[in-house]
Amino acid sequence: MRKTLAFALVAGVLLLAAVPVWAHHAFAAEFDASKPIKLKGTVTKMEWINPHAWIHIDVKGEDGKASPWMIEAAAPNSLLRRGFTKNSLLVGMEILVEGYQAKDEAHRANGSIITTTDGRKLFVGSSAGEPGAPPRKDK
Amino acid sequence: MRHRLVSIAPTIIVAVMFALAAESAIAQAAKPAPGAKNWTPPKTPWGEPDLQGTWTSDDCIGTPLNRPANLGEKLYYTEQELAERQSQLARQQQNDLQEFVAPNQRVGTGPPSHWVERGRRPCKQTSLVVDPPNGRTPDLLPEAQTRRIPEGANNENPKADSWEDFSYYIRCISRGVTGSIFPVIYGNGQQIVQAPGYVTILQEMVHEARVIPVDGRPHASPNIRSYMGDPRGHWEGNTLVVETTNFLGNRTGIGLNGGGTPTSDALKLIERYTRTGSSEIQYDVTIDDPKTFTRPFKVAFPLTQEPGYQNFEYACHEGNYAMSNSLSGARAREKAEAAKKK
Repeated sequence: MRKTLAFALVAGVLLLAAVPVWAHHAFAAEFDASKPIKLKGTVTKMEWINPHAWIHIDVKGEDGKASPWMIEAAAPNSLLRRGFTKNSLLVGMEILVEGYQAKDEAHRANGSIITTTDGRKLFVGSSAGEPGAPPRKDK
Repeated sequence: MRHRLVSIAPTIIVAVMFALAAESAIAQAAKPAPGAKNWTPPKTPWGEPDLQGTWTSDDCIGTPLNRPANLGEKLYYTEQELAERQSQLARQQQNDLQEFVAPNQRVGTGPPSHWVERGRRPCKQTSLVVDPPNGRTPDLLPEAQTRRIPEGANNENPKADSWEDFSYYIRCISRGVTGSIFPVIYGNGQQIVQAPGYVTILQEMVHEARVIPVDGRPHASPNIRSYMGDPRGHWEGNTLVVETTNFLGNRTGIGLNGGGTPTSDALKLIERYTRTGSSEIQYDVTIDDPKTFTRPFKVAFPLTQEPGYQNFEYACHEGNYAMSNSLSGARAREKAEAAKKK
């Protein structure tokens, strides 16, 4: 409860903060605001490529069969500056993704919120005052 | 009750810490460093002002190019407003460190917050445009109003039949000169390297390298044109002045990332880089395009050096999946619209 309150406060602050929308490309061109998705999957690959990195996961359906999904992430350079390294997301790790599916209904999504299954948030970066600081270690 | 107090105590302590940090940062930002007036920039071994290092425009991330009309001619925030913005930055930084996700954290189809690099101190300006006094890009001439803006780059209503409907930025070709230095949500690094007769600026996003002769040679023939133009530099005291002409017309605009109405082949830019302290350059650029704007205008903001900050390679075309994804998105949208009409 205590945590919920604190995080609700943080969330309130976030909502107040203006978010600039200039990414590499128009999100509305790629993803569909009417197709929110929640996925649980196992990491199979992380592509550290420009202009944006992509996280590949296998998502198990109700029939137990795994289907591959791709989740778009920030530019590799930005991920690094936010404290994300090649050890942050390892093959076999289970993650939860909340985001929006591709307009063409392919198994692609933007990952607005990405967490590990025990609730830890990915992309926990170094503070903006310490751009070269080493990333925080997962507990 | 005691329990509740204990539970909010860390929040109060953190808030007080931020307030104190904000106060000290504002005090530093508002007053010039001791001896700043007498500060003498270092010189290169061959005697030119030394601008070398990796600089970033991160502090003005999120500052709009055009000032909101309700702010009128107010260019600078007050000290109190800056203090508020500083504590907002601090809260943002604290939020970046949260290990658990807020239950109702913002979700949307825009770039997630973890995509965004952060400024370290609040931008003092209300807009990047500093002249005209209303802080807004001058009106377009009639001939420029018909110039096409790539529709695939439109965040509100993206449409695309071909890769040619995307901006040169999205195509990983170029953001133009101003688009490569104006602050955006990430990739703002500018590495300056000098040699006798040359200043080179390596720009992280879309990996431009501007090689600027400062040896007094004239511009190339007007028949020779390029996306990034033909720059010529000279020193005025401690200021590097760069005049760039010979642009190809109808490529990039003066908006962030080179967006907006594309400029013409008559574009002339005059940039000024003045080192105002060991870790700050004041940058300004006068934009004069007599075939596009009704008058010249000026954009200015600081570039800073930050501990540990460096440029990384940005091989943009390597994995630009968004291009094919956006095209297939446009086809899916057409299909859905056609189905609706039936």
